[in-house]
Amino acid sequence: MPDALSYDRVALRHAGAITDAVGPVSLSLAPGERVLLLGASGAGKSTLLHAATGLFPVSIPGDKRGTIRLQGQPVDSRRPADWADTCGYLFQDAGVTLAGFTVRDEIAFSLENLSVAAAKIPRMVAKSMTRVGIPQSWADRRITTLSGGERQMVALAALLAQDAPVTVADEPAASLAPSVGRRMADLLLALGCSTMVVEHKPGPILNRIDRCVALGRDGRVMAEGAPRDVLHQHDAALAEAGIALPLATRLHLAMPGLIDPRMPLQDALACVPRSRTERLRDTVLPIAIPIGEEIAALDRADCAPPFGPVVLRDVSMSLRAGEVLAILGPNGAGKSTLAACLSGLLPPRAGRRTGAPGAVAFQNPEAHFSRESVRAEIEGLDIAPEGVAPILEDWALARVADQHPFTLSQGQKRRLSLALLAETDRWPVLILDEPTVGLDGAAETALGRRIRVLARQRRGIAVITHDMDFALFVADRAVLLDRGAVQSDCPCPALMRDTARLAAAGLLPPEAAPILDWLEAAC
Amino acid sequence: MLKTFHPLPKLALCLAWIGASLVVFRLSFQIALFAAAMLLLLVDARIPPRRLLLLMVPFALFGFGFFTTSILFRAEAGFAVQMAQEQGGAPDVAPGLVLFFRVLACGMTSAVFVLTTDPGQFVRALMQHLRLSPSLGFALMQAMHMVPDLRAEMLQLRMARAIRLGGTLRRFPVPGEVISLAIPLLAYAIRRATRAALSFEARGLQPGRPRSNLPQPPIRRADWTLLFLGLGVLAATAAIMSIQAA
Repeated sequence: MPDALSYDRVALRHAGAITDAVGPVSLSLAPGERVLLLGASGAGKSTLLHAATGLFPVSIPGDKRGTIRLQGQPVDSRRPADWADTCGYLFQDAGVTLAGFTVRDEIAFSLENLSVAAAKIPRMVAKSMTRVGIPQSWADRRITTLSGGERQMVALAALLAQDAPVTVADEPAASLAPSVGRRMADLLLALGCSTMVVEHKPGPILNRIDRCVALGRDGRVMAEGAPRDVLHQHDAALAEAGIALPLATRLHLAMPGLIDPRMPLQDALACVPRSRTERLRDTVLPIAIPIGEEIAALDRADCAPPFGPVVLRDVSMSLRAGEVLAILGPNGAGKSTLAACLSGLLPPRAGRRTGAPGAVAFQNPEAHFSRESVRAEIEGLDIAPEGVAPILEDWALARVADQHPFTLSQGQKRRLSLALLAETDRWPVLILDEPTVGLDGAAETALGRRIRVLARQRRGIAVITHDMDFALFVADRAVLLDRGAVQSDCPCPALMRDTARLAAAGLLPPEAAPILDWLEAAC
Repeated sequence: MLKTFHPLPKLALCLAWIGASLVVFRLSFQIALFAAAMLLLLVDARIPPRRLLLLMVPFALFGFGFFTTSILFRAEAGFAVQMAQEQGGAPDVAPGLVLFFRVLACGMTSAVFVLTTDPGQFVRALMQHLRLSPSLGFALMQAMHMVPDLRAEMLQLRMARAIRLGGTLRRFPVPGEVISLAIPLLAYAIRRATRAALSFEARGLQPGRPRSNLPQPPIRRADWTLLFLGLGVLAATAAIMSIQAA
């Protein structure tokens, strides 16, 4: 039986590029196998997936060397659209790739393209909705009325309805609340599916993966095998390559010989002596910074987007100098609207905001760019000419100083957008909206450290995130938004241990929750 | 009633009335059509009066020049007089008033179609019955998705600009701001359209490739009845007017 998908010495180069985006690589996906593709940002993972049905280089201009086969047939033998009967795609941001006007339209789209008999389509649509857990009453709902998480689940229902024997998925759960992400992983990586998935955060899906393939920064395969073996045998090399590792593996790297990454974390922690409490705490929690005076506050504020309805009522909260605050909540809870009100960009509909002006680093960093090069962006901050080079060095942007900001990698864009806000003292309050989306492990760790440095400079920082472990790593305090109000405002570790409150908001505890329990018991 | 009326006969009926409004140069006809459209929107489609008034603003502005010239200055624009002569307008009625109500009548008849029709169902009906290309049909639906997202993107760009310039966010953008946002918004729309096109192709949409259609509500006898009833009323009105003119 031929492989479901195979790449034989494949190298891919985007049009106009002087080096290959990825390759040469040889890898395969056996029938019924679930393969996780790991790699740093820019390692070429998405390009490899786009090439699986020939979208690259037929629709995305570029050059391909080597051979790709789908179920034994060269992909070049058919047009990309013809492979829809064999290979289904799940894209990272379903919000911009949905085709239909209503949920029913969307799920039926692939079936219509495959010329499935019209009479059969409604039954297949209903079946797929049931599998994913979408209420049948949503069939006529317009796509535009769905939240980001709901759209991603509709995209999954459409993929399941397509019933292609091979599936490729590109960070399908990157911007989903944890509980929704877990439901998606259950369906996408069910036993017996031939699935190749790219995910920056492999921890939550590792137990559903049969094989792991890690791409190095040079776009070549650096390790391949069973997930636990790859992570155990190549942990240092994977970390060096910028790949996000599961918490147990990171702990093993930080404290060799103390945590066995092959054991469940709770069991591994039982072997840790109490004398290592401080070390363990410093690995998962931020080092404390003295908290200063209040620099921004909302007092009984009703928050609403411009021309939109009020999404949060009666919000009273404050942000202090040197403090990092995590803003948590399910998709559509009003986190970004709260950010705009807390920063002072949007006045509250009722109540009041007091304090220093604030700036928001938006989820899409490109919104902050207005000049032709990275250097020009920094120069635009009214900094003396001799001050520009040190800033570029400090934010690791010197190598790309003359590039257009839109051509940078996601991590570089994120650093530049943050530099533009942080390298001026105009903004004592900084709010970062989903700063980890699209970042690899190394970039995320660096961002976390950078946030703490900014807090040490006496700024007040708020971080909106779905990543509970990142929130735990950077934040001193956390607010939980749900059902149009602040449900909790307490120290971040305390909220992360409050599983009932998290569950009520559709959130899951962080991977590091057992460590919090261990630290509580040890102290 | 109007919301369950199949989009294609409804479109044909609305076009027929708009066509009649364009050829009949009589104030009574224009006012009657305008009043009928308003009545349908208020009673059948249950559109709040405030929203209807807001909807009328652009049409009213368009026809306001004729209206003010005719009523306030008791004179007629050359264009209005020429139209009246060419279309056999009655000499006792101010041509400017007729043109003003014509704009309102046509505008509100269009509103009857737009506000009572599901856009997705309309595009699907065009694909199914009038052979609109699926690529074009789904591109239209994608464009309809993009409108609210463009608004959100514009808000984010405006906030980023306010942060950069150190100002506060105005409720409405000033002309200079609109110009500076045009290119980033265009870039966003192009990027988004490219990603949507890739997704469509990955999911099997290809020009010329045979595809089936999700079953849609058929054109029922009631739809045909409504269409012919509407056309009958139009024919009767035309007949009465020609008898009166004779």
